[in-house]
Amino acid sequence: MEKIKYIAKIKRFNPETKESFWQDFEVEVEDSLTVLELLMYIKDKIDPTLTFRAFCRSAICGSCAMIINGRAGLACKIQAKDKIKNGVIKIEPLHHLPVIRDLVVDQEPAFDKLKKVKPYLVPDPKVVPDNTKVESLVLPEEFARYDKQTDCILCMACYGQCNALEGDEKYLGPFQLTKVFRFIMDTRDGVDVEERIKLAEDHGIWECVQCQMCLAACPKGIKPGDDILELRRIAKDTGEENIATRRAKFWFATVFETGQIDKWHLPEVALGDEKGEAVTKKLEAEFRSRGISEDEFGPKPFPGIEKFRNFIKKLEKEL
Amino acid sequence: MKKIGIYPGCCFQGADLHNYDITTDFLNKMGVEGILLERAACCGGGVIDETNKKIVYGLNARNIALAEEKGVDLYTPCNTCYMIIAKTKLALDSDPELKSKINEILKEEGLEYKGSAKIYHTLNLIRDFIGMDEYKKRIKRKFEGVKVAPYYGCHVLAPNEVALDDPENPTVLQEILKPLGVEVVEGYQNEQTCCGYHARFTDPEQKERLAVKPLDGAKKAGADVVATPCPLCHKAMDGYEEPILQVTQLINVACGSDPKEAFWDLNKTEVKISFS
Repeated sequence: MEKIKYIAKIKRFNPETKESFWQDFEVEVEDSLTVLELLMYIKDKIDPTLTFRAFCRSAICGSCAMIINGRAGLACKIQAKDKIKNGVIKIEPLHHLPVIRDLVVDQEPAFDKLKKVKPYLVPDPKVVPDNTKVESLVLPEEFARYDKQTDCILCMACYGQCNALEGDEKYLGPFQLTKVFRFIMDTRDGVDVEERIKLAEDHGIWECVQCQMCLAACPKGIKPGDDILELRRIAKDTGEENIATRRAKFWFATVFETGQIDKWHLPEVALGDEKGEAVTKKLEAEFRSRGISEDEFGPKPFPGIEKFRNFIKKLEKEL
Repeated sequence: MKKIGIYPGCCFQGADLHNYDITTDFLNKMGVEGILLERAACCGGGVIDETNKKIVYGLNARNIALAEEKGVDLYTPCNTCYMIIAKTKLALDSDPELKSKINEILKEEGLEYKGSAKIYHTLNLIRDFIGMDEYKKRIKRKFEGVKVAPYYGCHVLAPNEVALDDPENPTVLQEILKPLGVEVVEGYQNEQTCCGYHARFTDPEQKERLAVKPLDGAKKAGADVVATPCPLCHKAMDGYEEPILQVTQLINVACGSDPKEAFWDLNKTEVKISFS
C-alpha cells in the first residue's frame, strides 16, 4: 500500500448559520481508501464536525449516496484513488433534496413521492392463495421481467442526479417510477395496470428527459430511464391518448413507412389541435422561403423500402 | 483521403436540412470524404422503444451494417444517435445470440453486422479519427477574445459505457474549442443540465423550463455564445437570450467558410461575434 497526497474538496452546510461553503482538506492517506473511508479519516483525524450518513460499508444499505466529481454514487463503493482529478476529489450532497448538514440530505421528500405510487404488492386473489400453507408461485421467466428492479436499495443516487427534477421539483423521480414498473410486471399484483399507470403519469413518466443520468448513477445497474420507456409503452397501449402517445405511434408508423420520422408533421399529429396544424403551415412557409424543394419537406421512402418493412416486421415477430 | 460513413438521422431533415450541409462542409474542411449511408433508418430516437425496444437493436445493427458494407466507420453529429447506436454496438458485441438472430433477419437485405465499424461523433471523430494535430493545421482564422461556453449535452457522457470522454471531467470539447482562439468559459451554472429536447413532445413545458437554464448560466458567466456538438441541443436551446451554435458551425467558419455558409443566419438568436 502506498500513501498518496491530494485534496478532498467537500461542500459543507451549517444549519445553525445556514451557511453553505466548499472546504478543502489536504490528506495524505493510503491509496486503497474508498470515498467513505476517506470521509471517515477526515472526521477522525482532521475535523470531527464533518457530517455524513453511512452504515454498512458494503453497498447494501444505501445510506452513503452523494455526488462525487459531479456524478452520484455510493461513497462506500467508489475508490477514492480513481476519482482524483488534477489532485482534487470533489464531494457534495445529493441534489434535489434539502441538506440537513454537510453531506446529509433529508430523504423524506423522495420517500413521500415513493409512497404516492403504492410501492407495495396488493395480492391478486386470483393468483395469490388465501392461506399461508400454499406457496404463491412465480415462474423464473415471470420473475426475470422485474428481477433487476428488485435490487433497488433506495439510496437515491438516481434521484440526486435527475435532470427532470431540475425542471420540476414535483417530478416523481427515477427510482419511484422503477418501482411502479416493478409492480406492474409482478404477476401476483392485483392493482389494475391502468391505476398504476395513472399514478406514474402525475408529474411522472412524461416529464422524463431521457438524459440517461439515472443509468449512470445507479450502483446496482438498474436502468430507471429504460423502465420509464416501458411505462410509456404500457401507458400508450392501455391508458388515455395524449401528446406523447400520439407522438410515439406516429414515430413508429413513419419510420416503418419511410425509414425516418416525419418531423414536418410530427408537431401537428402530437399536438392534435389547430396549434399543431399551424406549426405544419409555418414550417411549410419556412421551407419555401428557404428555397427547400417540396421533395425535402419530409422523408421519402428510400429504394428497397419494402425489404426494410419486412425487416421491421420480422424483428417484431422473431426477436 | 480518409473516408467515413455519414449516418443520416432526423437532424438532417426538413427544417434541419442545413445540418447535412454543415456536416459535409466540416468533413471537407478536415480532408475527410463523407459517404452518405443512403438506406440508413432512424436510430429510434428513444421513442421506438415505446413501441418495441427490441426493434431498436435491429434498426441500429442494420445502420452499422450499412457502414460495414461500404467498408467505412459510422459518423453521426447527433448526441442521441451516437448514444443509441453505440449502445447497440455494445449489446451486439457482447451477446452472440442476439447478434446471430439479427444477422439472420438482416440476410434478406444482403446485410451483415460484423462489429468491425467504429461509431464516431464529432468530438471523438476530431480527437481519434482526424487527430488533434491535423485538426489544428486546418484552422485558418481565429475568434480572438470571444468567450465561448462549451455545452456537451447528455448523450456523449452518459450512460458511462458509451461516454466518449471522462464523464466526470470531460475535456475534449474544450480542447477542440481552444485552437479556434476563443476564451473557454468553464464551470458555469447548469453547464451539465439537460437541454430538455426529448421532452418536446411528451411535456413541452418541461422542455421550456430546462433549455434556458444552461444558457442563463453561460450568460451570467459572461459567455458570448454557447457551443454544443449536438444538433438536437442546438435546436432545443436556440431562441432564448443567449445565442448557441453547433461547434462545427464555428469550426467551418474558422476553416474559411462565411458565417452564412455555416448557417449562422438560420439561428433564431443572432450570433454577434467577430473573427480575424
